[in-house]
Amino acid sequence: MIRCEHLKVTFNAGLATEKRALRGVNLSIPQGEFITVIGSNGAGKSTLLNTIAGDIRSSAGRLYFDDRDVTALSAAARTRDVARVFQDPLAGTCGDMTIEENMALAYGRGNRGGLRLALNERLRQLFREQLSRLNLGLEDRLDAKMGLLSGGQRQSVSLLMSALQPSKILLLDEHTAALDPKTAALVMDITDQIVAEKKLTVLMVTHSMRQALDHGSRTIMMHEGQVAFDLSGEERSQYGVKDLLNLFAQIRPDGEELDDDKLLLGT
Amino acid sequence: MSLFSFLGTLEIGFIFGLVAVGVYLTFRVLDFPDLTVDGSFTLGAALAAALILAGVNPYLATLCAMFGGAVAGLLTAWLNLRFNILHLLASILTMTALYTINLRVMGKPNLALIAEPTVLSPFESLGIPNMYMKVIFVAAVVIAVGLLLAWFLNTQYGMAMRATGANPRMAQANGIVINEKIYAGLALSNGLVALAGALFAQTNGFADSTMGIGTIVVGLAAVIVGESLLNSRSMLVIVFSCILGSLLYRLAVSVALNADFIGFTTSDLNLITAVLVGLALILPHFRREWKARKAAQGGAA
Ligand SMILES: Nc1ncnc2c1ncn2[C@@H]1O[C@H](COP(=O)(O)OP(=O)(O)O)[C@@H](O)[C@H]1O
Ligand SMILES: [Mg+2]
Repeated sequence: MIRCEHLKVTFNAGLATEKRALRGVNLSIPQGEFITVIGSNGAGKSTLLNTIAGDIRSSAGRLYFDDRDVTALSAAARTRDVARVFQDPLAGTCGDMTIEENMALAYGRGNRGGLRLALNERLRQLFREQLSRLNLGLEDRLDAKMGLLSGGQRQSVSLLMSALQPSKILLLDEHTAALDPKTAALVMDITDQIVAEKKLTVLMVTHSMRQALDHGSRTIMMHEGQVAFDLSGEERSQYGVKDLLNLFAQIRPDGEELDDDKLLLGT
Repeated sequence: MSLFSFLGTLEIGFIFGLVAVGVYLTFRVLDFPDLTVDGSFTLGAALAAALILAGVNPYLATLCAMFGGAVAGLLTAWLNLRFNILHLLASILTMTALYTINLRVMGKPNLALIAEPTVLSPFESLGIPNMYMKVIFVAAVVIAVGLLLAWFLNTQYGMAMRATGANPRMAQANGIVINEKIYAGLALSNGLVALAGALFAQTNGFADSTMGIGTIVVGLAAVIVGESLLNSRSMLVIVFSCILGSLLYRLAVSVALNADFIGFTTSDLNLITAVLVGLALILPHFRREWKARKAAQGGAA
């Protein structure tokens, strides 16, 4: 479904602040696979997701969806295949617009109709049904401003929004990191439901080793702009959080400790 | 205030309602502070007057004026999007260029429309006194534009435009081509402002190269007055609050100018407007500070 061939991204090329954020990523993800992505800060996880989404242009390498070369496609054009949820709950929704307007925007992804009214009773009904899955009572507040909701509520709605249109790829960048543990668990729950329902191909970046092992069927670890480890199947099922931390230690030749073990072990 | 001057105030209030919704589109919907309007208002008046004097049908002339305004908006958007020139600066460049272009369009600093046909001519034979007819005509045009615009902002395209201004990253992640929305929004906004200019020239019988000065501030004043009166999420209410804001602003100004004991003259208008807009921008700031201080005291107690 997704194939990265030697993807490279360099920020500020030629300047003193030059940063090679991706240094030749090779990754092949079959249809319907759920991959969790871990790695220390600055490893290039977000850059990889942003490059797949088209927000960032690769400086070398090629990217394929379903054997279609999409390297030159704009971010907007790629949204026919790609849906995403950001880490910052404020980033994925418009705070000044109502819940139903936000959902209508997401509903328009991939087939912008132009001068037809964006909302109608049929859509409102669909949105109410979807929102009632969250059990947050939002189905009765369709015309409330998004900005009035809590971070967890906004993130939950973002997740529903990402699934309103059929897409094939879902990109999640630490989408539970800003939430309290209870809300994070709820959001992960809905994530799993949606992924299973829509048979999506998923890349989920997470800071939590537990989450990385408990969800999906394959885990990759990024380090300095490359895929340092790629775990799946039998091998992965025998891995625990401790083993992952050992892996982290191995790929750091200087033996530097992780910045924050608590963060990595949490939830 | 006499009935005559009251009707004149309404007429100008309605015409500047178009400027207000144009300014609302750029400043609020797209979050793109656009000063092009000072130039595109005059451009609309200049094009309409020059074309009518050249014998063009006034309706066609008005359409051309709107088109000219839209092109001015596109130019500002292009400078900003293509070359990364700060939006304010890009719009100041267009506005400055337009000053010369407007003089060229008119051929001299001002044009008078006296006996020439205007968009109002077909209604002059209806038997309604001219001063009422003019107000009814501009009110009808402005209300129709307001209804269309409110509908537009609720369409898929219009909502995409609102998302572009509110959260471009989110808009893009939902497949919205944001640059296209900015081009379209600036063209629409300046097209409406040019329509205001064209109507002004035809109802008042002249176009002048300096008539656009301060248009942006008047438009902003109307938007702010409207916003402070009606706080709603409904596009219909928001669009009409801009128009209402424009009417109230004009009435307030007209009362101030008519109150002899204050001694304001027309030439004081720009200062009064700037002070009003300044106050409207400063007050919410103070209110926030005041609330924050109160909250801090409450927390400490
Ligand atoms: N827009 C940018 N400009 C310059 N450097 C960037 C930019 N985005 C990311 N980087 C750098 O690229 C590296 C990888 O960043 P990122 O992909 O965000 O890491 P993470 O794995 O923590 O998500 C970091 O060193 C970061 O500082
Ligand atoms: Mg990141």
